[in-house]
Amino acid sequence: MDEEEDYKFASCTYFARNHPGETCGSNGLPLTPSSVTILGRAQRLLTIEHRNLCTYLDIIRGKHERIIVVAEVIGKSLAEHKSKFSIQEVISIGVQIANALCYLHQQGITHRALSDDNILIDSCGRVKLYNYGMYYMTDGGKEVPFPLGLPRYLSPETILNGAGPSADIWSFGIILLELCIGKLWSTLKPGPILRRILTLVHANNPAERIAREHDCYDSYKALPENIRDVIEKCLTIYPSERSTFSEILGVLKKINNQKPIDLKIPRGLLGCKLQYLYHWWQLAGGDIISELKRNGLIKNSPPILSMPVAILLDGCTIGGKKNALFDRRIAKYSLQILKNRLAHISPHDFYPLMHEKRKECDTVSLPKIIRERDTEYQFYRLLWFQRLLHGYPYTSQYIRAQAEVDIPPLVRGDVWAALLGVFGDIEDQYERIDKETPTPTDRQIDVDIPRCHQYCWLLCGRAGHRTLKRLLKAWLLTNPQYVYWQGLDSLTAPFLYLNFCNEARAFACLSAFVPKFLHKFFLKDNSAVIKEYLAKFWQITTFHEPELAAHLHDINFVPELFAIPWFLTMFSHVFPLHKIVHLWDALLVEGPQLPLFMGLGILRQLRDTLLDSGFNECILLFSDLPEIDIGECVKASIEMSRNTPRSISYRRFTNEPEIKDPMDVVEVPMEVLLAEICPRISLTDFFSLTCQEKCCVVDIRSNLLYEKSCIEGSINVPYSGVHLGQHELRALGLHPSKVLTNVIAQKKTVIVASAEDETAQLFSEYLVKCKVPRVCILHGGVSALQSHVPSLFTVPPKRNGHK
Amino acid sequence: MSTNGCNDEAMATNRSGAQRPNGAPQTKVCQFKLVLLGESAVGKSSLVLRFVKGQFHEYQESTIGAAFLTQTLCLDDTTVKFEIWDTAGQERYHSLAPMYYRGAQAAIVVYDITNQDTFGRAKNWVKELQRQASPSIVIALAGNKSDMAAKRMVEFDEAQAYADENGLLFMETSAKTAMNVNDIFLAIANKLPKSESGGGSAAGGARRLADGDQPRTSTCCK
Repeated sequence: MDEEEDYKFASCTYFARNHPGETCGSNGLPLTPSSVTILGRAQRLLTIEHRNLCTYLDIIRGKHERIIVVAEVIGKSLAEHKSKFSIQEVISIGVQIANALCYLHQQGITHRALSDDNILIDSCGRVKLYNYGMYYMTDGGKEVPFPLGLPRYLSPETILNGAGPSADIWSFGIILLELCIGKLWSTLKPGPILRRILTLVHANNPAERIAREHDCYDSYKALPENIRDVIEKCLTIYPSERSTFSEILGVLKKINNQKPIDLKIPRGLLGCKLQYLYHWWQLAGGDIISELKRNGLIKNSPPILSMPVAILLDGCTIGGKKNALFDRRIAKYSLQILKNRLAHISPHDFYPLMHEKRKECDTVSLPKIIRERDTEYQFYRLLWFQRLLHGYPYTSQYIRAQAEVDIPPLVRGDVWAALLGVFGDIEDQYERIDKETPTPTDRQIDVDIPRCHQYCWLLCGRAGHRTLKRLLKAWLLTNPQYVYWQGLDSLTAPFLYLNFCNEARAFACLSAFVPKFLHKFFLKDNSAVIKEYLAKFWQITTFHEPELAAHLHDINFVPELFAIPWFLTMFSHVFPLHKIVHLWDALLVEGPQLPLFMGLGILRQLRDTLLDSGFNECILLFSDLPEIDIGECVKASIEMSRNTPRSISYRRFTNEPEIKDPMDVVEVPMEVLLAEICPRISLTDFFSLTCQEKCCVVDIRSNLLYEKSCIEGSINVPYSGVHLGQHELRALGLHPSKVLTNVIAQKKTVIVASAEDETAQLFSEYLVKCKVPRVCILHGGVSALQSHVPSLFTVPPKRNGHK
Repeated sequence: MSTNGCNDEAMATNRSGAQRPNGAPQTKVCQFKLVLLGESAVGKSSLVLRFVKGQFHEYQESTIGAAFLTQTLCLDDTTVKFEIWDTAGQERYHSLAPMYYRGAQAAIVVYDITNQDTFGRAKNWVKELQRQASPSIVIALAGNKSDMAAKRMVEFDEAQAYADENGLLFMETSAKTAMNVNDIFLAIANKLPKSESGGGSAAGGARRLADGDQPRTSTCCK
């Protein structure tokens, strides 16, 4: 028992079929390797949970088309079990196997390789099927070079190459028969066994005939009639006449007098979800492949030995590595390293409570990539998120607060869905959408999908392509106001990647994401939306990086040339998936203004190069974007976003309710927006900055007007006296330049207040050229402020010693 | 005016040429803006990638907006520097195209020989260029994916006839096997009027050469 408990999962490995030669598919692209197809198909198996099925934990693609399958194990296999079972035990085992297969058939999965070595039973009599998905993941065995299943369990029609789900019934019948009368044909080689099975075709009662062949007719006849009845209903030659599992289950349950095995879930580590255990085990240093090597399941032979003897001109090979049969051995893994790693954790910590104050880990200060690899940190985070997600949607705000810290990669799909407010019967809604009827857009989608994030093994397989197409078609159909813009494929990819087996949720996430972050971006005529977005991006760049912005303005390097794919796809066309997920983690928490700052974050990392470069060098830099530190970019963008008044990043084309309060309005006509290089600030934001003493107003009206009444604390730089050609603060005069220098040092916001828009624009541009950061224009100018907040106005004190 | 421009060019070349170890100081440098147009997934980006970097990616990502690359070719007495704008192929991005072909001295209109529709689209691009682009623009027609001749849907002769009719350069290319890729750029370079390029450059190529070349040379020397 103790020994059994130590092993929680095991792996087996095999080679996928090699495509002969280097042939191309009809689209001119190389054929997808079989291992990639298998990987894609197997994803679904990872989501299947049933008490009589060993949970699949991982499918790994190794070198040379190798596939490694990791799955739960319990006890030992029927093949290893030497003692005989009592009739009651046989029935109990039968019920559990039938239960598992019945469930699989409901899911549309055929086992086809049921045998005594993939039926596991533990000391309590609990039965689970191991690696039941071989036939499914290999697309009916098409993607592997070896036959599936052990000969003695194959049904006659399987041998004749026409197997359907009912082949499982036959195999089940043989298993039952073996449990009752002992192993069949144990001395025969595969060939003769197959021949024996085929001769059964002529038998009236194959079960009896087999029993007779094994000199067990009497003991067979001595079995209770109802069991024989079940066996004989299974061992029927014609697949159509065989029973189904639900029928068999009905019969077996009636004669089963054993209580269902009720296993108490152990407390502590072993009570955690198996997927978590596997994840932590890997983080703690668990290595699937080295164990396989140690057990001789992966053998390293010199490459020369696997070279073909000859290669034909068309690329086909002769000789060389033989297609081996399926290696049925498994390597079991002990959880010991994980247990040691987490030994010091108090039992209390396995059950975190929502209302408890959480102790802060030091790890929080480390970069995200390191946190994601820290066993202990992920242990705490996963358990905590499991709790929170369990209570979703009632725990939304807690999830958001925790997601702000970081999101454990293992539950990222769930957390994103929660952040996007996805809940309800999304499967049903998705089911109702027509994803198949051809549309004129299909051609474009078809040419784009095989180019979309194809380095990712999930997305480059057939399953990935098909699902991505369905998602795009479904989205277009449910959003008739929108059209397919290239880039929509890249945008959908992260959701598919995280919800590979939950298409409906991927769709729901996409459907929630677009209105929030890309409202109106996919309109047939989206030029106004994009123009506004880019103009805002440019203004924000000017706000935070005046020197860089001035330089890029000078060389006429406009964002239209490089930033369209950034924002249209929320960077999903620009970065690989492992970077996108970190960008979007932040995006989903912070909200729709963050992407603007992320764009700026990227510019900032390239700042020095850009400042040194002319137009061509700049554009070359963006055509082949250098490595960007995403962690740094996210950090900087969040900081900038939080330090920027909301009205600065205001856009008209958002999904947010229209702003009515004149204090909050900053909207200007598009031509004005495009003409202004500095953003506008609303009266409200101005007011709150003033209250916090975080801004300085530069009043550029004439001295006369200023003396009459001015904003408290403002300085006066009459526009008429400014020499726009001299890009130095000193040129503004002693007092203003001193004040502004102080303001810059204290990182305050500089607010230009004027009586006319035009002078405000020109003067703010001047300040930018003087490299003054955080310059913005007071919306509505002095007069608007005077009419809404007259209390801010005063008569300036007469200053001595100033001109 | 045009000769003056060329003289400026030559001077600029002499200056930077002297700093390059293998540069031939007496050759002149001409800079041309070249734009690639054509239906999506015909291989525009792949052609550029092959020409500029000698690489080929089976799964070349789609281009959104446009991409920009440069490459230099050496003719007998001239160094030709191409500023290549590789554009998005999807019809919807059409509205952006004029931004890229405005002021271009050369264009390669690409179609996929295994797809008749892309040839039709190429013809439309040629028409648009003839109407909208600068009148002296050199247009080349490239029938790409010639390695997939077994699936050919556009006959060579048909395309050749069309090209002759419209005064286009024409080649069947393959970015995958590199067939005719350098050749088509070379043919364009040969056909471009070298003497006029400096002054005639509508995009202000000469100016950009001056501020463009400087930093690169300086990084070499650091």
